[in-house]
Amino acid sequence: MSSSTDWHVDLLEIAQKCVYCGYCSLCPTFKELKWETYQPRGILEQIRMYFSEGIKEDEKVEVSKTLFEAIFACTMCKACENICLVDLPLLKVWEQVRQEAFKKGRWSPLLLSLYNKVKTTQNIYGLPAEERLAWAGLAGLNMSKRTKKKASIAYFVGCQASYSGKMGNVAPSVVKILRKTRVNFTILGLDEWCCGSPIFLAGGYSVGKTFAKHNHDKLKELGVKRIVTACSGCYRAFKIGYPRVLGDKWDIEVLHITELADELIKKGKLKLKHAIKEKITFKDPCELVRHCGLVEAPREVIKQIPNVRFEELPSNKHDALCCGGGGLLKLNDSDLVSQVNSHLISEIEYSEAEIVANGCPTCKDTILAGVKKNGLNVEVLDISELIVRAMEGEQ
Amino acid sequence: MTLKKTTRTRFTRYLSKNFRDDYTTLQIYSRDMSDLPKVVKLFVGNLPDGVIQVRNTEDMQKIYEIANETRVPITQRGGGTAGFGGCVPYKKGVVVDTKGLESHFLVDPLELTVTTSPSIVFSDLQRQLNLEGFSLCSYPSSFHSATVGGWIAHGGYGIGSIQYGGANEQITALEVVLPNGERKRYTEFDDISLFVGSHGTLGTITEVVLKIKFDIPLKHQGCTFDSPSEMLKGLEQLSKINPFSIWFLNPDHVTSFNEVFGYNLPKSYVAIVSKEVSFEEEEKEFKNLFNNAIRASGGQILDRRYIKDIWDFRFKGFSLLGECTDYLVTEVILPVETSEKFFRKIISKFKGELHLEGEMISPTHYSLLIYLLFEEKLSEIKKTILNLKLYKITTKKSRAKGFPYSTGLWFSGYYSSIYGKEQYKRYQEFKRKVDPKNISNPGKVISPRIKFFPLVRLKAIVKIASRLII
Ligand SMILES: Cc1cc2nc3c(=O)[nH]c(=O)nc-3n(C[C@H](O)[C@H](O)[C@H](O)COP(=O)(O)OP(=O)(O)OC[C@H]3O[C@@H](n4cnc5c(N)ncnc54)[C@H](O)[C@@H]3O)c2cc1C
Ligand code: SF4
Ligand code: SF4
Repeated sequence: MSSSTDWHVDLLEIAQKCVYCGYCSLCPTFKELKWETYQPRGILEQIRMYFSEGIKEDEKVEVSKTLFEAIFACTMCKACENICLVDLPLLKVWEQVRQEAFKKGRWSPLLLSLYNKVKTTQNIYGLPAEERLAWAGLAGLNMSKRTKKKASIAYFVGCQASYSGKMGNVAPSVVKILRKTRVNFTILGLDEWCCGSPIFLAGGYSVGKTFAKHNHDKLKELGVKRIVTACSGCYRAFKIGYPRVLGDKWDIEVLHITELADELIKKGKLKLKHAIKEKITFKDPCELVRHCGLVEAPREVIKQIPNVRFEELPSNKHDALCCGGGGLLKLNDSDLVSQVNSHLISEIEYSEAEIVANGCPTCKDTILAGVKKNGLNVEVLDISELIVRAMEGEQ
Repeated sequence: MTLKKTTRTRFTRYLSKNFRDDYTTLQIYSRDMSDLPKVVKLFVGNLPDGVIQVRNTEDMQKIYEIANETRVPITQRGGGTAGFGGCVPYKKGVVVDTKGLESHFLVDPLELTVTTSPSIVFSDLQRQLNLEGFSLCSYPSSFHSATVGGWIAHGGYGIGSIQYGGANEQITALEVVLPNGERKRYTEFDDISLFVGSHGTLGTITEVVLKIKFDIPLKHQGCTFDSPSEMLKGLEQLSKINPFSIWFLNPDHVTSFNEVFGYNLPKSYVAIVSKEVSFEEEEKEFKNLFNNAIRASGGQILDRRYIKDIWDFRFKGFSLLGECTDYLVTEVILPVETSEKFFRKIISKFKGELHLEGEMISPTHYSLLIYLLFEEKLSEIKKTILNLKLYKITTKKSRAKGFPYSTGLWFSGYYSSIYGKEQYKRYQEFKRKVDPKNISNPGKVISPRIKFFPLVRLKAIVKIASRLII
């Protein structure tokens, strides 16, 4: 059974272990902001000061200003932890400092509002729970027979695919894949709560546990053994957040839609028959690749498209660039998001791809904005939309 | 020195948000990779009065103008990754962070050069070059964090230096803002070499033109030696086969690699030799030359399985520091021919704690990174004593004919040991001409006078202390 200490680390001890090599200068937001107060090693230095015994109260207040500012300028892309020469668990540190900021009443009003929305309405938009299934109606799908049906596989739709018009095609695409391959699946429907990802990213593991417990109990009631999602935030919450807060109780296997599609292709159930003539590239979402180590499944699936022209982005897999949209940065600094995003957009342009596929609604949204801003002639698709196109042909 | 209100106003009026002097920012910019021992801090004004993000050449000219008029020292800072205190203020003043400099990138494929900003980090530059089929010639193992400007100003070497030389040999042109505010472009080797290793004391580098090469694949071979003398003989032989890099480790370092990364390398002196190889015949030739060199020096050839893994850890040597509770690091340059005794001496002096990592920086010399790793936390006193011991090892004139890697603050006063008396004379003349008020990174290269005891220079104090303490 997990206890609250499982996700707590000794901040001071970790900060003292930093060897100051500066490798974390690859941090995408530090690269834009330039001041070393935003560099992970600089944040650790501030943690060292903030928690040091000898610090005077007025100095602590001063340190807290820059420390809390820096901690919310982070996209939680995990590039720093990945490269850290001494393997410091930096993500846990960032989450915990965000909680320290919460305790001190130093969250921005927008973040607080999101937090309260999620807590009270169980979705990130603060919209009524009854609208959770609106995506199906809009796509002309009747999901009543699937909703809350007993099945071993559940499709977890997630807040963005459920409520956001921009993501309107994602959930219908996943449903098409599952139906076509005759997977016996269920959805939680109005019982689905936010996975808790924004709360985990804000370090709120105690509150996050309420969400984890609710979703877990509902899934268990339906006899679910495997859960599939097309959202990298939900995927990370299930893979990392839920085991932390629920311990061994969380025994449901978690799959990204690309993992399930890969499995179905290998079993001969999913056939990608239609060629896609456009050149395709794939943007690895940080939460899939660096947080959860998912690298091959999306590539395996794309490879199955007949006559596919696939080109990796210059920075790919574990070195993939961050889109800028993660870690709740959109709430805190949208200009910074587009600055960070501009580097990814340059790489997409360099690749000369005509379709950029990804596995994360946040990436999709951010890339769409960047592509539009830069006037690129590139189609931005969720990988489930790409699979459907190869499965059914362009409609 | 604390900035006068009028001086501060001049900086803020010109730089607006690019000037900061809040408590936290000042603290963060008061150190580099090695934080100063507490006792040293008593004598050093390492806490700046302000920090500036310089955006372009015009900014830099204005900063020098204000600095000259108000006598405020400025200290340039790139990645802040060197451990010699070069980017740490000695007399407070203003730190000029070069990371804010406008970035640019222009490859000349005919001349094989790239024009770039000094603030670019090596790995970023290499990525951009690789996309166009080119590569850097030589780069430090702090590839992921060091800036090009910092490497040049600190007089660096690195991977590829045995074939292509150190920072000095990589540059075809430098644009510099001199401390008197003049903006100059240098293209002659003699002029450029003044800025290499002078730690920004002669001006701030604002643009660099570096030599580049085609991105030729590297092939690696590995070997082991039973003793330092065999290894040094091996280095001499291997240098003759025109390698791109020769990198070596001592047995204790190898053991740590085994423990941390789960390798099973033989506990001996291990060297990895890399060479640019374009086609199969060249690879065969490399193998033959390598085998002959090893045979001639009495070494053994390392099982191929290990080699790729070790090469991947070229940039990760420091990760071993995470495995110990305390550590000290220094670096020295030594000639292969005369350093056997030195090698034996330090091994016997620091038995068990000593980890060595070397890189051939020319066919005759190697740089030796000396780590002392400890399982327990060192007291301030013990740390200071050990630092002094390392200082003595690095600076004492011996038959080994070694010299410190760079001057910075720690080894200020050793410029002529590194670059020769002639060059030092040229350096001094130039310094007098362009920076009569000594506002550009004071305390570096030329040993500074000590706070409270202005008759004494830092070099003398540390030298005496290092000799007495032993
Ligand atoms: C893991 C690791 C490995 C390393 N390996 C190597 C190696 O292989 N070879 C090597 O040489 N060093 C190595 N170093 C030391 C260090 O990283 C390098 O010397 C590096 O080149 C310093 O670059 P920097 O940008 O961090 O410079 P800083 O530390 O910021 O500054 C170094 C000096 O340059 C001056 N300076 C910086 N920018 C400018 C400018 N634009 N104009 C004028 N002066 C300027 C500063 O005032 C200072 O005196 C290593 C360090 C680490 C942590
Ligand atoms: S997680 Fe990403 S954005 Fe956050 S500090 Fe690390 S590298 Fe920077
Ligand atoms: S990479 Fe890790 S050890 Fe190195 S400076 Fe950053 S946080 Fe510290």
